[in-house]
Amino acid sequence: MGNPILDTFFEETEELLESLAEGLESMQGAEFDKEIVNSVFRAVHSIKGGAGAFKLNALVSFAHSFETVLDEVRSETLELTPQVMHTLIRSADHLTDLVDAARSGRTMPEDVSAGFLSALEACLGEGKIEAVDAWDNFEFAAVTLDIAPIEEPGEAAPEAEAASGSQAGFTIAFKPHATLYANGHEPALLFAALADLGQMTTTVDLSRLPEWDDLDPTVPHLSWTIALRTDESEIAVQEVFEFVHGLCDLVISPLADPTPPPKVEPVPVVKAAPVAPVAAAPVAAPEPSAPKAEAPTMSDRAAAAVAALKVKADKAEDAEAKAPKATLRVDLDRVDRLINAVGELIINQAMIAQRLQDMTTTRDDDLVMHIEDYRLLARDIQEGVMAIRAQPVKSLFQRMSRIVREAADATGKAAELVTSGEGTEVDKTVVERLADPLTHMIRNAVDHGLENREARAASGKPAMGTIKLSASHRSGSVIITVRDDGAGLNRPKILEIAKRKNLVPADAELSDSEIDQLLFMPGFSTAATVSNLSGRGVGLDVVRNAVTALGGRISIATTPGQGTEFTIMLPLTLAVMDGMVVTVGGQTLVVPITSIIETIRPQPSDLHRIGTDETLLSIRGRMIPVVDVARSLGFPSPDNLAAPLLLLVESESLGECALVVDGVQDQRQVVIKSLESNFGSVPGVSAATVLGDGRIALILDPDAVAGGRTAGMHMPNILSNAGRTAYANV
Amino acid sequence: MSLRDTIRIMIVDDMSVSRALITQSLEEIGITKYQTENDAKAALGKIVAAPVHLVLCDMNMPGMNGLELLHALRTNKTTARIGFILITGQPTPELLRIGQELGLNNLIRKPFTTATMKASIERVVGPL
Repeated sequence: MGNPILDTFFEETEELLESLAEGLESMQGAEFDKEIVNSVFRAVHSIKGGAGAFKLNALVSFAHSFETVLDEVRSETLELTPQVMHTLIRSADHLTDLVDAARSGRTMPEDVSAGFLSALEACLGEGKIEAVDAWDNFEFAAVTLDIAPIEEPGEAAPEAEAASGSQAGFTIAFKPHATLYANGHEPALLFAALADLGQMTTTVDLSRLPEWDDLDPTVPHLSWTIALRTDESEIAVQEVFEFVHGLCDLVISPLADPTPPPKVEPVPVVKAAPVAPVAAAPVAAPEPSAPKAEAPTMSDRAAAAVAALKVKADKAEDAEAKAPKATLRVDLDRVDRLINAVGELIINQAMIAQRLQDMTTTRDDDLVMHIEDYRLLARDIQEGVMAIRAQPVKSLFQRMSRIVREAADATGKAAELVTSGEGTEVDKTVVERLADPLTHMIRNAVDHGLENREARAASGKPAMGTIKLSASHRSGSVIITVRDDGAGLNRPKILEIAKRKNLVPADAELSDSEIDQLLFMPGFSTAATVSNLSGRGVGLDVVRNAVTALGGRISIATTPGQGTEFTIMLPLTLAVMDGMVVTVGGQTLVVPITSIIETIRPQPSDLHRIGTDETLLSIRGRMIPVVDVARSLGFPSPDNLAAPLLLLVESESLGECALVVDGVQDQRQVVIKSLESNFGSVPGVSAATVLGDGRIALILDPDAVAGGRTAGMHMPNILSNAGRTAYANV
Repeated sequence: MSLRDTIRIMIVDDMSVSRALITQSLEEIGITKYQTENDAKAALGKIVAAPVHLVLCDMNMPGMNGLELLHALRTNKTTARIGFILITGQPTPELLRIGQELGLNNLIRKPFTTATMKASIERVVGPL
């Protein structure tokens, strides 16, 4: 773009659009609040103003119509019917599109805008919206002004004095004694204090200054005459000299000759103005200002003082009520560089700690303590840096309410979005990369989740379907849920479709949770009639991939007749995580601590062999599948299944399952280094990290490892073979 | 020293884009002694404390709008004679009328160019 002001415009516009959406939302629910309508109007108006400056004409003309309607609403000449409200909200959506288009230099199709424009016009009736340039021919008769230089404080500027009006004032004759200087007083400071009271002119009397050779530096020779114009009383002036009382000759007398202020010479520039008749009228002198300036009365002064006080009070109130937090806009690259550096810092700390541990010869307790401090500091810094990237999910959620509206319009269902936890902060990348999957899930919820009107009426539900979107923090993760109050999943139908599409063998017996998981299979699409909304062939598998790419997990819960809930669980940051360092088949791997429930070394009697190579663990009365990590990753597997060490992990696809590992080394914070850019997506491995001893360790993706297991059991065509080859190549 | 070197201008606009555009124009004109405020009340406080020659002010702002600021300046006698140019995208007859009653010096229509900005200022303060 290259135009920094244009960049600022788009940034600012984004904020305005946000407050616009927010304002419209509260207009929808609550009673008519003039302040809210005003702020909505102002947002559109400001966008229009800025767009005009950059000649973004499509944006200007639409914003203009939008603004006209809002103005009518604001002046209460247009009633805020649900129909009008709907038009306003959709217009805000369209305005957002227009801004996006303008930002990327595209143009929106004319007919789309035309549709929205006619909807806006319909609100007002024909011909009520004036053309953007309706007032182009206005002529304002400028009122000329004499500009007098404004004096610098404390500097002599006689003209300014004249211009300052007809204040009362004092003439102060000031002649310091030697004792004044001896006591450490400084005339310059006194003058500065006087300058605070009003405008002053200082004249120094040098007449008694002796010749250089005769100068006695301990005897003062200077005196001053000060003309001070001020509204303050003489007492205030005397207070300034309070501490030098008796140390100087001081005479304060009222100012003899207050210069009358020059009058503003109104120059009536009368022009024939075809459009604005008011401007064509002869311009009168600026009455309100001139007479007052000439004859200040006590009441005027009091009024001014009261006004000033009121302003002060208002200001204080404002500051308390809505003081905007000071923020800093920083180039994202800088933050990312910082984050990278912190990652290296943490690795470096781990290396030093490791070396120290290896130096068993001399054990220095102090050093151990310092290293521990270092570790804590590094962690503090890392958390602080991460907080810079953290963003509330509010903007993301706001976009979703638009998706619900569009989806509801397209499907003919009535739906509303209820959000909670908008203040929850998530890494910026997560917010950005979550937008698409979340959009898809919300569309799904409206399109597939909610029943149509008849079905809702039949089951006694309100016609308005509710989509609940919430975000919260839970033990180092961010939980985002999308919940609809529809009919719940139709499991027999899902299974039937999966069988028809050959996603599962025709004779497969699946548990309920396994059927739910089918939704995430590639190539699955439930809607019998492919709607143009969510049935585009991209299914929930895309959603799952996006979530997994963010290091998160997605799960599904459904209650027949009451609705379906999708839960996305995401790590707080994408740069570091707490992990358990384990060895598997001679390799060092890291397992994310968030997915580990416990470690366990079971009795041989708790392990049950099923078939040729399946094992189940019996724990607390339940049977849990055992997954040999080495074998799923294609490592040479020492047959240690007789007395294995097990990590009990929670996976979204299999519920709990037990991973077989050779040993547990450590639990520590590791820096995540993505493999994707160099190696592509490797199933079973989410990333890599550098350990304290400099070795590289792969970070295990427990879901994929466990999921590949189920795939091998029921769905032989998914990733078992291809996946294993990939692991072997790592 | 021409007028453009000495004139002091206060710019009041809640939008940073508008402020940037106005200051850009002023700099192109060669005016360097300007300050900006994003809030009319804050601007009023600043102007009362340290007067300026001319105020360039947006009309539509939260809290206190342009005409309210003008009114406040005109009713305070230390600031009553400060030049005031309103910048607005919608100069309606109503707005013009109130502006004239309050002793508005001139009005700049948005979008403006450096040339129109200069002309509008010159019509108030004379050749820059």
